[in-house]
Amino acid sequence: MKMTRLQWSGLTILLGLMTFSLLGILFSPHSMSEQNLDAILEAPSATNLLGTDHFGRSMLTRMAHAVGLSFALSLLCMLTSSLVGTAFGVWAVWGGKKVDNVLGIVVNILLALPGLVVVLLFAAIAPGSFWVLYLAISLVQWVEYFRVVRAVTQGVIQSPARQSSQMMGFGHWYQFKRHIWPAISPSVFTLAAFGGANAILTMASLGFVYVGIQPPLAELGLMTVELFPYYSDAPWLLAQPLVVIALMVFAFHLLAGKRA
Amino acid sequence: MSVLLKLTNVAVYVGDTCLLEPISLELKQGQPLTILGQTGSGKSLLAQAIMGLLSDDLSMSGDVEVFGKVMSIDERRALWGKELVMLPQEPWHSLDPLMKGVDQVKEVYQFVREKSSQESLTIAEDDLRHVGLAGSGHKRPDELSGGMAQRLAITAATAGGAHVILADEPTKGLDVSRRDGIVQLLQARSNLGSLLTITHDVAVARQLGGLLLVMKEGRLVEQGEATQVLDYPKDDYTRELIAAEPSAWSDMAPTSRQDSAESILVADKLTLERGGRVLFDGLSFTIKQGEVVGIVGDSGCGKSSLGDALLNLLPISAGSIVRLNQAAKPHQWLKLYQDPPSAFSSSVSLGQLLDDLIFLHGIDKARIAPLMARLSLPHGVLDRNCMAVSGGELQRFAILRALLLDPVFLFADEPTSRLDPITAKEVTALLVELASEAGCAVLLVSHDPALVRKTCHQIITL
Repeated sequence: MKMTRLQWSGLTILLGLMTFSLLGILFSPHSMSEQNLDAILEAPSATNLLGTDHFGRSMLTRMAHAVGLSFALSLLCMLTSSLVGTAFGVWAVWGGKKVDNVLGIVVNILLALPGLVVVLLFAAIAPGSFWVLYLAISLVQWVEYFRVVRAVTQGVIQSPARQSSQMMGFGHWYQFKRHIWPAISPSVFTLAAFGGANAILTMASLGFVYVGIQPPLAELGLMTVELFPYYSDAPWLLAQPLVVIALMVFAFHLLAGKRA
Repeated sequence: MSVLLKLTNVAVYVGDTCLLEPISLELKQGQPLTILGQTGSGKSLLAQAIMGLLSDDLSMSGDVEVFGKVMSIDERRALWGKELVMLPQEPWHSLDPLMKGVDQVKEVYQFVREKSSQESLTIAEDDLRHVGLAGSGHKRPDELSGGMAQRLAITAATAGGAHVILADEPTKGLDVSRRDGIVQLLQARSNLGSLLTITHDVAVARQLGGLLLVMKEGRLVEQGEATQVLDYPKDDYTRELIAAEPSAWSDMAPTSRQDSAESILVADKLTLERGGRVLFDGLSFTIKQGEVVGIVGDSGCGKSSLGDALLNLLPISAGSIVRLNQAAKPHQWLKLYQDPPSAFSSSVSLGQLLDDLIFLHGIDKARIAPLMARLSLPHGVLDRNCMAVSGGELQRFAILRALLLDPVFLFADEPTSRLDPITAKEVTALLVELASEAGCAVLLVSHDPALVRKTCHQIITL
């Protein structure tokens, strides 16, 4: 698969943000929760490159952790949901009518509920748990992969090319590798890029309404709501998580490319 | 005889490359003109150039004169329907899929000829009766067979009363009996004006008569009276084209087949249904080792379904299919497909596909080179994927791949219907020859009885 210039720039932005996060976590002299009440709401300076928040904590350290957390969640969700969705999508076509019907019912139930409501439900059961968030978001996202993969695979399964491979004695894995995967991979990659952006947005939304990751951990949505009261005193602080969220979503959309 | 259409040095270019070399011709009233040539010989470009339908990246030079007047593209477009009409290749693409057949003809009378709605309907029904579609006027195009749809498309296209009719491969993909009907219809429809037909089918050219132009790779190679050119061809290419007609083939069926050969498959009182319709019932036959068996019949009669059923790709409704050759493995019962590109994965090169097969079945690599030479496949095709190889080469590669597995039975489903006549002849000959050498039985499906007659030991008519 060849990437366009725009896709490369999307990838570059993402890699840049990841590097920032890694370096910040590893080398920052301040810890994420270290307070310094003598220096609150400070503007960026040589000691605190991104300033300090309302408890005098280093914004750089907190941003690095928050970005890392967002990436970890979005990549995990992306991986899980694409794997599960693709596997079930192919299985639905290959496994015959019964499998298809059962999977169809499950998917319809999930589709009948708005995605954010499902995630909110899970988050309310176990507030602040990263793994429950991850489960909930993956549960919502795999459906999309399933539907696209199933639709494309149906055509491939019927194709003379696959039929011919089967007659020549090739096994299921070979048929998947040579016939099904080449047909679905562009769609799966595109969905994955959008899915990554959605996972970040969902996590930030939950943080913003206080049901996501809990303080004192740093999370982009949570930081936004914490810094909100100080928007006129220290607008540069509120701007940081917002700009980073926008940048991450933008980069993922660039990576997704033109074709949907 | 008045000249209806006159081309002077018409050529078509893409950028600086010449696709169609300058050509001049005259279409006279009452004298049909036929352009004969293989696909890719620029025939369709010529028709598009006359109509003014060339796509934007193509440019055209030369003059097109209609009714004695040189006309620009816009002027010619104004004549569409009333004076100048083109019948497209595939009727499905030119008919409205949602509208009843009779209405599609009626609308031409109503809006092009500006008659009243009632009068138009009467004439339209009349027209359909003339072309044998009396009972089918209320059907939508998808309920019609290929031949019926083509007749409907021709009726609708010519209802405007055009004097110049351009027909681009009007008989493509039709059975022989249907093909003759279409040719007669075209002749009847054009007796007031004139007909310019583009075809790769020598038989069609012969039936239409009139003037004949033979084209090869965008160049005119021969022209003259149709009977003259076809009976006494001067150019090698014309000769090749004529010789590629199945009825002109020499008998290919190897005579070495012995009655003592072992039977490999027995079908007993076979019945096949599809979509609730019985395709055939009570069909019994035996296929022997190394035998070439042909299936003929009109389209939609279940030729391909029978082959698929023998390969266990379709369930049978009644009867039995017994494979007597117990030693043969499942992968030695194979199929060759009608549309070569659709039978290969385009994700990797053909060489990779071959390597996969060699790895799976532990085939001796040394067998490939001699077979490729026999099939005259250049070594370069292995580096390309199936989209970058011509249809003929791909079908020969399919034969190569099948033969490597030492098949006992090969079902060839119209293996040459998408190929040019010359290539089709080569491929069929190679298939029959190599399969007989390998002792592999071939089930050959074709809509052309002549082809089957020349190549098969046993013929099953459905």
